[in-house]
Amino acid sequence: MKRKISVILSLLFLFILFWSQWNWKHLSSFPSIISSFYSKEYCSCYFVMQLSEEQCHDFARQWVPISEFKLDKENMSVTVKGLGRTNTAKFHSKEYGCTLVTE
Amino acid sequence: MKRSFIFLLLLTFVHCGKDLSPFGGEPEITTLKPRLKPEWPNPNWKVVSPESVGVSSSKLGLVEEYAFTRTGDETDRKGRRTDALVILRNGKLIYEKYARNFSEDKIHLTWSVSKSILQTMYGIAVKEGLVKLDDPGYYHYEPLSRDEAHKKITIRHLLNMSSGLAAEEGYESGPLKSSVIAMLYTRGRKDMGAFCAGLPLRAEPGTQVYYSSCDTNILSAILKKVYGAEEYDKLPFEKIFKPLGITNVTFERDGSGTYVGSSYLYMTAKDLAKIGYLYLNDGVWNGERLLPEGWVQFTRTPAPGYKTTPYSEDLDQDNYTAHWYANTGVPERGVHEPWPDAPKDTFAGLGHWGQMLYVIPSLDLIIVRFGDDREKAFIKNDFLKFVKESVIR
Repeated sequence: MKRKISVILSLLFLFILFWSQWNWKHLSSFPSIISSFYSKEYCSCYFVMQLSEEQCHDFARQWVPISEFKLDKENMSVTVKGLGRTNTAKFHSKEYGCTLVTE
Repeated sequence: MKRSFIFLLLLTFVHCGKDLSPFGGEPEITTLKPRLKPEWPNPNWKVVSPESVGVSSSKLGLVEEYAFTRTGDETDRKGRRTDALVILRNGKLIYEKYARNFSEDKIHLTWSVSKSILQTMYGIAVKEGLVKLDDPGYYHYEPLSRDEAHKKITIRHLLNMSSGLAAEEGYESGPLKSSVIAMLYTRGRKDMGAFCAGLPLRAEPGTQVYYSSCDTNILSAILKKVYGAEEYDKLPFEKIFKPLGITNVTFERDGSGTYVGSSYLYMTAKDLAKIGYLYLNDGVWNGERLLPEGWVQFTRTPAPGYKTTPYSEDLDQDNYTAHWYANTGVPERGVHEPWPDAPKDTFAGLGHWGQMLYVIPSLDLIIVRFGDDREKAFIKNDFLKFVKESVIR
């Protein structure tokens, strides 16, 4: 019985390993989604649509919570940390709104 | 037994000659009539009472009740969450209301309605003779020349959402493999057009309709090459917004300065209605033709690949004209028109979380609705039915 369980667990582990390798490009960029989505959509909500801070949090919030948030009104940027990744979106102008700052 | 047989026979005779198809008929794309008394909003719409243009105020009350009754709070983000509603008839404003800190001069994210305005930019480029619908994309945009299969993708295919590129449009439903999320927020954000052009093909270009933000952003990147970066930066502002008197507008770009035509245009509800009025008037504004002849007809015609796309549950929601939606189904395959209770000639620009621009030529109506619906509680067909029923003549 014990042997059977360890065989099943090893197979499952192998399957996950193969699946992860197969989907690596998706998996590796996934954690960044939370902070980039939050920072970009908050930036546009606040600086472009000019809604309140509370409304913009409601607008950008997802089911995965963020760990850090910084609204820099002077530099017109929003920095967010989530799932260990940090992203910043910056407001450029009335015409062109916000863009994620690329590394 | 005998009785039921006679009953069935009678029923057959009663229905003989009637159209029993619940799926409507062939798409009706009639030419738009030239307007005899245009009411160009210079710079603003003329405001009149609904009754003066044949619309019942009390029945408009039902439209308002449907749109603005809130069923959830701000934290759970459930229910129908309308931010703005504007209705025009015969070129005159008959209804306007806002909620949640929005007002007539606040711009709202239109999400995928942006695609329909990117299409307007193509109308202008075609009129100026800079691109032709059947030009292969790689003539203008090098990343599409990566192999022979990609070289077959034309501008018409991209406008018809039929590039065949293997994009995954899932949003919240499947974030891991969603190419739209990767395009907007992670791997594609530096240069969305190049990211999308690098996708493999899932089908021969032009044969299958697959709604994809990637097709739009490749189109946007092509325009940048066609016009050159400097002129491209001014293109929507100078060639569309300025003639229409739209000054309060934001169009966001990706890391390489390409307009995110799939998603990031912000406008006021009344200004978006001007785009609708441009299309209702067959591409003519203030007596001047902005879009080429036949462009609005092309806009309202279902994409050829739509007929051959394997059936899926979401097919009737697909953007199967040329970057707009039409109210036509595919009767022979049992695909219902998306809004059976709305006039057949209704066409629309639609966006994520409830952004809507409806143009109904037969009723001379334009409707703009902005919202932030996080669940599917706002039923477009029910809403359009209320609007249609408010028209008394």
